[in-house]
Amino acid sequence: MRASGRLLAAGSLVVGSLALATSGAAPPAALAAPASVPSGAPAAGPGPAGSQAFAQGGKALAAGDLPAALAQLEAALAADPDNLRYASVYRHAIIKAGEYDRALAFFEKLVAEHPAAPFAWLNYGYVFVDKMPAAGAITQVILANDALKQFTRSIELKASWIALYTRGNSYLYWPKIFGRAPLAVADLERAVAISKSEPKRAYQAHAYAALGDAYWQTDQPERARATWQDGARLFPQDAGLEARLRLKGDELEAYIADQLDRTKRVDTDLHELWEDK
Amino acid sequence: MTRRARFAVIGRRVALGRLVAVWLAMLSTAAAPPASPSDAPSANASGSPAATAVEASSTTAVEASPAAVEAPPTPPSASTHPGPVKAPPPGKPSPSGAAPGSPAPAARPPAIRFEEIGAKAGARLLHHTRHFHGTKADILEMFTSGGASVAVGDYDNDGFDDLFVTDSDDGRPCHLLHNNGDLTFTDVTEAAGVGKGNDPHSIVSDALWFDYDNDGRLDLLVVRFGTPILYHNEGNGKFRDVTAQSGLNKFGNSIAVIAFDYDNDGYLDLLFGNYFKPVPLLDLKDPHVLPNNLDQATNGGGVTLWHNQGNGTFVEVTDKAGLGKHTGWTLDVGHADLDNDGWQDIYLADDYGTDRLYLNNRDGTFREVTEEAIGIDTKKGMNVDVADYDRDGWLDIYVTNITDEYMQECNMLWHNNGVDAAGKLTFTDLSRETGTCSTLWGWGAKFADFDNDGWVDLFAADGLRSAGDKNYIPVLLEMIITPNIDFTDVNNWPDIGDMSWSGHQKKKLFRNLGGSAFKEMAHEAGVDNDLDGRGVAVADLDNDGRLDIVETNANQPMLVYHNVTPAAGHWIELKLVGTRSNRDAIGARVTAKVGGATLIREVNGGNGYSSQSSTRVHIGLGAATRIDELEVRWPSGLREKLPLRSLPIDHLSYVKEGAGVVSAAAAGFGRAAGGPKPAHAGNLPAAAKPGGAAP
Repeated sequence: MRASGRLLAAGSLVVGSLALATSGAAPPAALAAPASVPSGAPAAGPGPAGSQAFAQGGKALAAGDLPAALAQLEAALAADPDNLRYASVYRHAIIKAGEYDRALAFFEKLVAEHPAAPFAWLNYGYVFVDKMPAAGAITQVILANDALKQFTRSIELKASWIALYTRGNSYLYWPKIFGRAPLAVADLERAVAISKSEPKRAYQAHAYAALGDAYWQTDQPERARATWQDGARLFPQDAGLEARLRLKGDELEAYIADQLDRTKRVDTDLHELWEDK
Repeated sequence: MTRRARFAVIGRRVALGRLVAVWLAMLSTAAAPPASPSDAPSANASGSPAATAVEASSTTAVEASPAAVEAPPTPPSASTHPGPVKAPPPGKPSPSGAAPGSPAPAARPPAIRFEEIGAKAGARLLHHTRHFHGTKADILEMFTSGGASVAVGDYDNDGFDDLFVTDSDDGRPCHLLHNNGDLTFTDVTEAAGVGKGNDPHSIVSDALWFDYDNDGRLDLLVVRFGTPILYHNEGNGKFRDVTAQSGLNKFGNSIAVIAFDYDNDGYLDLLFGNYFKPVPLLDLKDPHVLPNNLDQATNGGGVTLWHNQGNGTFVEVTDKAGLGKHTGWTLDVGHADLDNDGWQDIYLADDYGTDRLYLNNRDGTFREVTEEAIGIDTKKGMNVDVADYDRDGWLDIYVTNITDEYMQECNMLWHNNGVDAAGKLTFTDLSRETGTCSTLWGWGAKFADFDNDGWVDLFAADGLRSAGDKNYIPVLLEMIITPNIDFTDVNNWPDIGDMSWSGHQKKKLFRNLGGSAFKEMAHEAGVDNDLDGRGVAVADLDNDGRLDIVETNANQPMLVYHNVTPAAGHWIELKLVGTRSNRDAIGARVTAKVGGATLIREVNGGNGYSSQSSTRVHIGLGAATRIDELEVRWPSGLREKLPLRSLPIDHLSYVKEGAGVVSAAAAGFGRAAGGPKPAHAGNLPAAAKPGGAAP
């Protein structure tokens, strides 16, 4: 049994970049220079200590030195615990190293030291999701539930678009028998509402897609379609929305099921938040 | 949309396709799961029950040519260890290509069809799970509900396989059903004296026929959550309890057993699979008896191995044999010569964690090769059955797990890759690729060639608990996600009451489409009942050459499926009788060359969850009307090529070690040779006989 969040399914750049980096190519742009996160980021940008450590981590990753990279990225996060970008790169290095328990311990300590850092909590939750493919079926349930707890804490501290989208989307992965879909509707409606009050960003399309999926799962196909149409009007280039509106019947059902396939690793890469302006 | 396609679409959006491609390449080699069942070849995508019989036939005419016309990929070797090097399986094509001189293929092989005859056959026994007392009685009842078992064996040597069927509630007798030879059974339990076993301290959980003293009569072992009971067959329809003098006096919470001769000394040894650790569940002092981890539990009962001393006694050799460190929740045990070295190896299916594979060191000990051969899994293993489903000369393994709405483990069809150049035996799970991934909450499953086309099919039982409308899973979830919950404490498990848990599940019949894919056709075949299945035994109950199925169900009636496939292929059946080897010939391997294909069958002593199939060797021949070569490799090491003129097609033949094909009487069997129901294809209507008239 596994449930988790398809977070930003468009992700892959950082992971792809790491693949190049570890094969000896130049450090990818995502790692070349630290930058503040444009959406949901803390008011203050990253401090110089975190920035320096992040850069060192990037170099270590490029050199294929995972132990050094993890140490540097942890230092960067310790200096800037709410930095989504640092955390995203760190978690994907963790996935590569398979050291999920190290990341869990790290974030547990980080949130203990910085209990008011919403994105530290959010990333703590992502680590549970990241670990799921390495766990057995029952343990995956426990991990999914632990992830939800951290997402909830993040929302309690700051009801950000990314946290609401993440938790709402996570609920969608739970089998119907557990009755989580209405909770997904509630979170994703809030995420869509937030996006309407913020500058338009392409990644916001994901919340429309997911909210439509949530309506679909709660047997509201008309609302689902209307939501996807709303999203498509705002984001006509979004492939996910386009597919949902194009497909019908069993094909649409299969497409949505595939998006929420619990046997696949969930992408928790957040690069769109800072790369998609 | 496939996973690859999905990400490809996403990749276009960011115009960094090259990076995405690199990532996809990583995924496809590292993290991506195998292709979904829908990617596997499908014989019939219509799903229409009305159309399926015709469609299945026409499709399999293309995809599942009969054995006689297909050449094997590589001739198997049953020679010395290590076996020949063999190419890995993924993506391999189905064996194909006609051998010169092969008989013509049968036109449109038939769909498989069964008729349930339990009631009219006098074999409609109702199983009862054990009722416990106390606050958590229903949880303990749930955890011990696996004991609906059936063992097939011809205890009176009349040429027809009989049935021993277990019950589990206190005071309820088990049943010995004598096969009358006309698809009816007579309950002879009382006369035989084999009904006991369920008492206030013990729960019957499994049963096994085996001739432990090689006297030519099948003895009976009743397995229990408790101590086992060994009955000696006295030869007059009566049995005598010899447990006390046998040495089989160790308490265990056993759920599975096999008889096999692990040291090839000519006497059958016993391997018990134990679920709980050896604590008295019916008089529970400490409630901490349940699994300590639901994915990798280490507090189960493991296994116990008993060596047959050859004098009517057994001695435990678990530690000595190298099996003592296993502490999993063993639900099933299986044996076979997996590395083709002539010695029997062991596969252990464990609930709540890692299955284990042990190879025989040929010196009375085993070595574990789990990690290198199959890897470490976290699934809920429930069944071990073995057969060479793709006819490549290496025995493969089918393990059932849980694949349901809330848990998608997938079964494991371990394709045997053979022994590589470094001497390493490996397997690859091809359940997704072959379409055999899901049997819901799986239990017993058996390979058998139900349509006699030369390819072994699969029948799988499933379903845990069918009760009220309310589902236990959401209730159980709350327990599972409770922080720091102690799963071992039975008091922490929520009451189940009248709730269902993976109940009302349809059984699965997978027809082998030529060794690379299976088609699920339980509905067309008439075997898609939704009872809470447990054991599956396969036997030719009426000696008509078509394999029948007996299914036992927890707290529900057993079912007897008579195979009425209208145009099944030709066949032979062999009853092997050991002389230097154990008399049941368990572990003997038959290699038949038919029309360019090589088919291997191995006699097993109780493989498959909660059931024992017939020890007869059954080989479907498709349209072939002759066998080109047939060899028996006996556990003693003797290799015996049988003269083909002595092996009539569509007949049951008796083969005695060292003497070749003999009469039934000479083999120690009676009625089949001269009794009222001769064992040949005469039971089939002439028009239904494949390939024309019988030879």
